[in-house]
Amino acid sequence: MNKVYTLHDAVAKFVEDGDCISFGGFTTNRKPYAAVSEILRQGQGNFTVWAGPAGGDWDMLIGEGRVKAYINCYTANSGYTNVSRRFRAAIEKGQLTYEDYSQDVLMLQLHAASLGLPFLPVRLMSGSGLVKYWGISEEQRKTLDKVDDLKCVEIDNPFNPGEKVVAVPVPKLDTAIIHVQKASPDGTCIIEGDEFHDVDIAVAARKVIVTCEDLVSDEYIRRDPTLTRIFGQCVSAVVHAPYGAWPSQCYNYYDNDSEALKEYDKASKYQDAADAVAQLAKAAVKAQAAADKKPGDEKLAEAAAKAKAAADAAADGSKVPETFKDYLDKWVYSAKDHDELLDKVGGSRLMRLKNEPHLGYSTRH
Amino acid sequence: MADYTKYTKQEMQAYAIAKNIKENQIVIVGTGLPLIGASLAKRAVCPSCHPIVESGLMDCSPVEVPRSVGDNRFMAHCAVQWPNVRFIGFEANEWLHDEDRLIAFIGGAQIDPYGNVNSTCIYGKGDYVKPQTRFTGSGGANGIATYCNTIIMMQHQKRRFMEKIDYITSCGWMDGPGGRERAGLPGNRGPQMVVTDLGIMKFDDDTKRMYLAYYYPFSSPEMVQENTGFEVDVSRAQLMEGPSPEIIKLIREEIDPGQAFIKVPKE
Repeated sequence: MNKVYTLHDAVAKFVEDGDCISFGGFTTNRKPYAAVSEILRQGQGNFTVWAGPAGGDWDMLIGEGRVKAYINCYTANSGYTNVSRRFRAAIEKGQLTYEDYSQDVLMLQLHAASLGLPFLPVRLMSGSGLVKYWGISEEQRKTLDKVDDLKCVEIDNPFNPGEKVVAVPVPKLDTAIIHVQKASPDGTCIIEGDEFHDVDIAVAARKVIVTCEDLVSDEYIRRDPTLTRIFGQCVSAVVHAPYGAWPSQCYNYYDNDSEALKEYDKASKYQDAADAVAQLAKAAVKAQAAADKKPGDEKLAEAAAKAKAAADAAADGSKVPETFKDYLDKWVYSAKDHDELLDKVGGSRLMRLKNEPHLGYSTRH
Repeated sequence: MADYTKYTKQEMQAYAIAKNIKENQIVIVGTGLPLIGASLAKRAVCPSCHPIVESGLMDCSPVEVPRSVGDNRFMAHCAVQWPNVRFIGFEANEWLHDEDRLIAFIGGAQIDPYGNVNSTCIYGKGDYVKPQTRFTGSGGANGIATYCNTIIMMQHQKRRFMEKIDYITSCGWMDGPGGRERAGLPGNRGPQMVVTDLGIMKFDDDTKRMYLAYYYPFSSPEMVQENTGFEVDVSRAQLMEGPSPEIIKLIREEIDPGQAFIKVPKE
């Protein structure tokens, strides 16, 4: 059966408003950015999210208000951004409904989903805030149809009475999206390098979109079944999307685009121009107060003057820094599809990211 | 000629990390200073150790410094590439088999006298649901602190060393002796020391409270107390000698030549 779709059609058909959804990849490694961008363009949202080790993928969707409930264990483009900034701002402003599990527990929950388990007992999280505090209260959970009514329950191990364990729910995923190195039209996938939780969510979800670097024939992908990782019957759609994990890295293919990840780090500080003006004004007041406290400190005086200049320039519109909205306009919305995006990034830039086979990363960027 | 006789606080910290890794230990590293410290241990101080990463990469010896735990730079010369769930299972089975080979590094924003660590959020005027400052979340830290002996990395500041922290992400000795067992955690595992930019803190066998074990050539017991937000016993403190020029040369020229994590001051 041929499951090859265009990115547009796959996302239009298999990503629905209100889905319970999970993405593959790990912070800045093999994140399905091409598909994320297509979701942003098409407008689906209201997602209940099992995020796994997330980064810019979910940060962009949070910043665009597409997330209804966010189940978190770690969100950062680590190495570039210590804490994803739209995620952080949304929580600090009380605008994101979210829950925390530890990464081990969340990864085990996704694994349990792939095994079809009814619930999962763990020894993890005991004694910590992860059990004590709930981001989403029991009452609120009952109003969210895709969020389990309980975060966790402390129970007695029935096979070892007296041993306390923590029982957690198993995700019921509607949709999984992963980016892989090779896939064939029948849905069979090869993942090279660390598979992370990608195989787990591909087995667990009802609808699975696979984007791939290379679309190869069904015969070719079966040359060595020790290399294939996902049975094609688990997959709903296969999309050929070279550099579909850009700006994250993809083992054996390309490295992180540090330039883009650094650009996102800076831009995502500000939601939009109004937010930039407000934040810079606040920073200028703070810098002036610090300088006033220590008159005669030249460095502080200089910093205050610089902060005031930046705030003034933003306020009168002469120099507003790049914002999250600007970044999305530049790298998502202004391209009608993934091909146009690659043209925009440019051939030589993409070539510089190409992995050196003996190392598994690029030393030229 | 480069001068390797002077070293920075961070280089001292990396050296302190390396010195505390023992022969044949399996070392769970993150990125940043613990990775530099473990690389130093692997190359010079304790070559028999086995660095592993929570994403599931076992026995790593990266050529270029990885930027994050998931970075493909960890793949170069790594022995086995497991998915994350295998790492979690391995960690748990080491404890179930009563093996005492794992040592792990974690960090955080706040720590209390019993080595409980917060890397989730700082409440400020808010609470957990709407905090003043939000961080990434647990990542692998909670699981590591559940099953492994840990070495905690902290910047030594009063606002980070607090009698009571806002949120426990990773459990230490909880509220003292027996605290871990009462919480349902392995009692024979827990934080072994806290390596900071001012010294090394250990935990008293009887009370499980933090005390100063070592200070550095550029710090003092008084400095440590001044920068700790609770009473700390400094009566047992000893001076730890700094690294040799050979060690500093190794860090700067081979382990982190791009200064990804350790910045070298301009001469």
